[in-house]
Amino acid sequence: MTGGLQRVASTVVLVALSLLLTALILWVSGYRVGDVFSGIIQGAVTAPGAFTSTIRWAIPLLLIGLGVVIGFRTGFFNIGGQGQFYIGACCALAVSLGWREGPVPLVMLCGTLAAVGAGTVWSLLPGYLRVRFGTDEVLTTLMMSFIGALVLQYLTAGPMRNPSGTGQTAASERIPDAFRITDGSGVSATVLVLVGGVALLVWLLLERTRFGLSMTLVGRNPTMARWQGINVSRVGLAAFALSGALAGLAGAVELYGPGARLVTGFSPEVGFTAVVVALVGLLTVGGTVVAAVLFGGLQSAIIFLPIVTDLPPPALVLLHGMVAFLVTIRFRAVRRPKTLGGKAAAS
Amino acid sequence: MEQILATTLRSAAPLVLVATAGVFAFRAGIFHLGLEGLMITGAFTTVAVGDATGSVELGILAAVGVNLALSALYWWVIGPLGANVIIAGLGLTSIGLGGTAFALGAIFDTRGSIFTDVVLPRPVRGITSGAGVIISDLSILVWITPLIVLAAWVVLRRSRFGLRLAAVGEYPFSARSAGVNPSIVRLQALLISGSLCALGGAELSVGALRNFTENMTNGRGFIAFVAVIFGAWHPIGAALAGLFFGFADAIGIQSQINITERVPREFVLMIPFVLTIFAVWLGGLWRRRSLEAEAGYAELREPD
Amino acid sequence: MTAPSRSAPAETPAVRCRSLGVSFGTVQALREVSLDLAPGRIHALVGQNGAGKTTLAKVLGGLQAPQTGDVYIDGRRIPPGDVRAAQIAGLAMVHQHFSLPPSFTVAEALELTAARKGGRSFFRRSELHRQWQNEVAELGGPTMLSTRIRDLPVETRQSLEIVRALAGDARILLLDEPTALLTPAAIDQLFERLLRLRDEGVTILIVLHKLREVAAVAETVSVLRDGELVLGPREMAEVSEGLLSDAIVGPAFGTDRTISMAPAVKPTQETLLELVGLSSRESAFELGLDEINLRVESGEIVGIAGVEGNGQRSLVSVIAGLAPVAEGTMRLGGVDATRTGPAGRRQRGLRLVPFDRNTEGISRSAPLWLNQSALRLVGRHRWRLPLISLRQYKRQAAEDMDTWRVRYDTVAQPAESLSGGNVQRLILSRELSPGLEVLVAAQPTRGLDFSATDFVRRSLRELRDGGAGVLLISSDLDELFELSDRLLVMYGGRIVARFDAPYDRRAVGDAMTGAQR
Repeated sequence: MTGGLQRVASTVVLVALSLLLTALILWVSGYRVGDVFSGIIQGAVTAPGAFTSTIRWAIPLLLIGLGVVIGFRTGFFNIGGQGQFYIGACCALAVSLGWREGPVPLVMLCGTLAAVGAGTVWSLLPGYLRVRFGTDEVLTTLMMSFIGALVLQYLTAGPMRNPSGTGQTAASERIPDAFRITDGSGVSATVLVLVGGVALLVWLLLERTRFGLSMTLVGRNPTMARWQGINVSRVGLAAFALSGALAGLAGAVELYGPGARLVTGFSPEVGFTAVVVALVGLLTVGGTVVAAVLFGGLQSAIIFLPIVTDLPPPALVLLHGMVAFLVTIRFRAVRRPKTLGGKAAAS
Repeated sequence: MEQILATTLRSAAPLVLVATAGVFAFRAGIFHLGLEGLMITGAFTTVAVGDATGSVELGILAAVGVNLALSALYWWVIGPLGANVIIAGLGLTSIGLGGTAFALGAIFDTRGSIFTDVVLPRPVRGITSGAGVIISDLSILVWITPLIVLAAWVVLRRSRFGLRLAAVGEYPFSARSAGVNPSIVRLQALLISGSLCALGGAELSVGALRNFTENMTNGRGFIAFVAVIFGAWHPIGAALAGLFFGFADAIGIQSQINITERVPREFVLMIPFVLTIFAVWLGGLWRRRSLEAEAGYAELREPD
Repeated sequence: MTAPSRSAPAETPAVRCRSLGVSFGTVQALREVSLDLAPGRIHALVGQNGAGKTTLAKVLGGLQAPQTGDVYIDGRRIPPGDVRAAQIAGLAMVHQHFSLPPSFTVAEALELTAARKGGRSFFRRSELHRQWQNEVAELGGPTMLSTRIRDLPVETRQSLEIVRALAGDARILLLDEPTALLTPAAIDQLFERLLRLRDEGVTILIVLHKLREVAAVAETVSVLRDGELVLGPREMAEVSEGLLSDAIVGPAFGTDRTISMAPAVKPTQETLLELVGLSSRESAFELGLDEINLRVESGEIVGIAGVEGNGQRSLVSVIAGLAPVAEGTMRLGGVDATRTGPAGRRQRGLRLVPFDRNTEGISRSAPLWLNQSALRLVGRHRWRLPLISLRQYKRQAAEDMDTWRVRYDTVAQPAESLSGGNVQRLILSRELSPGLEVLVAAQPTRGLDFSATDFVRRSLRELRDGGAGVLLISSDLDELFELSDRLLVMYGGRIVARFDAPYDRRAVGDAMTGAQR
């Protein structure tokens, strides 16, 4: 069996194992697993509007997940997608509210660019610290993520708060309807074309350009990449910038699409789920699309499920956790000595 | 002023406990992002079992047990099974957050939060007036926390076990050449870490409060993690950092109450995160420089 | 075992091993090594890099479990790969790489690594210091106990490693290349110390690779070559330096000590690579360069001989553009390239076969075609669509690999699935591509079997005959004699001798080992 097939198989097994474990927990807790699974199928696919909802939740997962693919492939653990997503959405919102009288396409373009730019900046700061000083990026991207969440909280509770808003959670004002590219369902031809185009571009970049191949080489073995004359720092910065840009874009799509306004702490799990999605997608674009739809479906179902069974939504977080907990396990068919050839034999 | 002091102590105690847990993991070289998850399972199990048995002690014992099991699983996955430490750690956090919220629904048939009658004892009593009132509201765990920190310091800095732990984290080769099995030491560190997280969670749910709420840790596990970095992986340093973050939290709460305050609460809450970025950056610079000075440590990064 | 007993040949050997075998993947690091070391003496173990010395030391010390064979200490069998058991049996090891954690204080480090029985689980600092102050008394005052390991000078660290090793009442001391990082004065001190320990009855096995040092300290000597014990423990008095260096580098082809070969045709006298007064700072792991002058012209192979660790790695890194130049100039094709980046140098025809095939030469987990295409990814290309055709890349890679007779199933298989010889062919198929002007080949045949070695050598010769320049860095003298048109010897970061064919094996060997006669 080739390495690729083996990896697909092991990922499928591990995801199935996670599902099984979660099902076991549900069963122990007295839920009827059969009902739950049929509920998931209904809520993700067959019920009216369910599949649209699946796609609606898959879109941010896909965009952020593609960013994760780029980062991880290049060997950088950019796990700050959540914050980059929030900051992108905030900047798009600021542009759209601040210039709501402007020409619609121009404002939207500026808003989207602002979102992409903000996401890029949010990711480049840890990226620069990483490639220039070797500062651990896991921690810095995580911190930037928390800061992003607080910025969102501040804006929605403060400067951009909808004064006439009711309800417990703070929310911003709504953007004018003219700026929206979808209705409340979050899916429209425009969005699908946009997201599909982005996915295609990312695929082309990673699989069909020299730069993308350099990224893979840097991620696999930076030492060898250096010896081959690849500028490892530049490739690393580009990877950080791109993954931030994609998460920022996801923020703009969320605002102009289903959101229309920002609520404190919206979609709180999306950044982390996107990491899971990218890993389940084996860090390939095609795999990430499949995984995003899969996890979008689960998200959609969990909103739908309470109608069918009384399964609480946190079960989904639990499942995500299970998958993340297990998905990076590597089945090693052959155990190899840790050091090989020259190094180990050198005396 | 007294108010802030009391709030600081109450906010800081769980942070300090979990930060101490983080110090154990970090010293053994494990970048433990599952602290948040272990903290909330600790909080929940204490409430659930405490409520069922009517005994807070049994609740805490059960919480420690659950966390020992989860920590052992985490060790098994990242050690023998070779999963990624960071991703699996984040997964553990999600399992904790999702699992407790789910169990809340499954066991108590409710969403959001439950109240409980069990509560940690308050050792200082009988003060009904003056500044002393505030300390009479502190649970026994708050009082014990400094002792735990001290004990952690003794174990880490003044015991052979602590030396082995540090060697495993810093330079596994030295541990192996001294006949120590790094994998076992990591397991021990994770088990200690899990137990301390259980205590931190318990203080949160039945110490400072009398309830369990979905996602009630609210990122405290990560802040504790930050405190570890900020405290330079030292138990006392991490405890002081935890205390400082508790203080920042107290000011944040205070400024929320006091609307005329100039600085929005969110910016106060950002302080730990911003500081951490600086701390990691400068710490990395310093470490790299000292690494460059090392001659002959070719196997420093050797996996084992 | 208190009194030294040096003249009793019949007694139990302090260390005995029987038919030890260790292999890493396809590399056989030790083959059937059997060795007896008499107690109370200083034994030296010598051999080239890659001969298996460290592996043998690790097996004896319990850090590496052998696949076959047994180790006995004082006649008792030691369970394989058990450090503790070896320590309890009285064997302590001083590693080539220091084993004390840098952030520990001296006292903490000693407490961690000392295999002493009956220690308490908890301690007070003062108690710890009291415990260890005698051991470090001659290294420095009691203040040094609270010094951090990383702040100690290299020699002190080395001595501390020995203190650490002996703290558990070890009767057998294993030192793996302890002199590699020491100054000559510190080496003398170390040897004095070892001699004293010998007089106290400690059995010592010391891994060395400079003959001068062997002669200075050892009573018996054993030689490893390619994982085999080629010269059993022999009394130093019985062996000559010439015999030893022959045993180390292997027999020459034929009986003649000098090898003559026909000089190559030099079509044009174009200087392709030139280093003028080039110096670089020392890095953590390698000596810096000290005023290197060398030139490689078209149609010649320039050999660099030397014991590894004398600056060869720095030389290759500096030429590749991966290590900064402190002083001096580097020219590629007559044009200054000192400030050109790695990619630019590649563009100007520099090709590299790096030292570490598996870490610097290839990406083990990446597919073959990507490894093969790596050079096509960098640099400026004539304007064309930014999109590339993977099929074309793969086809090109397959073609190139077929030309170089790399054996593989599919171009998508990871590079780690190849054998050492095939990995080297893969690297050559990539580096010896159009545009090549000068090739720097570092240890291109190390660890390869006979046919692969032959193939690589033939390729280098063909390259030279085609008018390219080759800088060949090797520790295999036969290879250098066979291929080089000129030979330079590196020692201590500088070029200490230059030879022209025909080569005098002994003179070259002397320059390499710093031997004087």
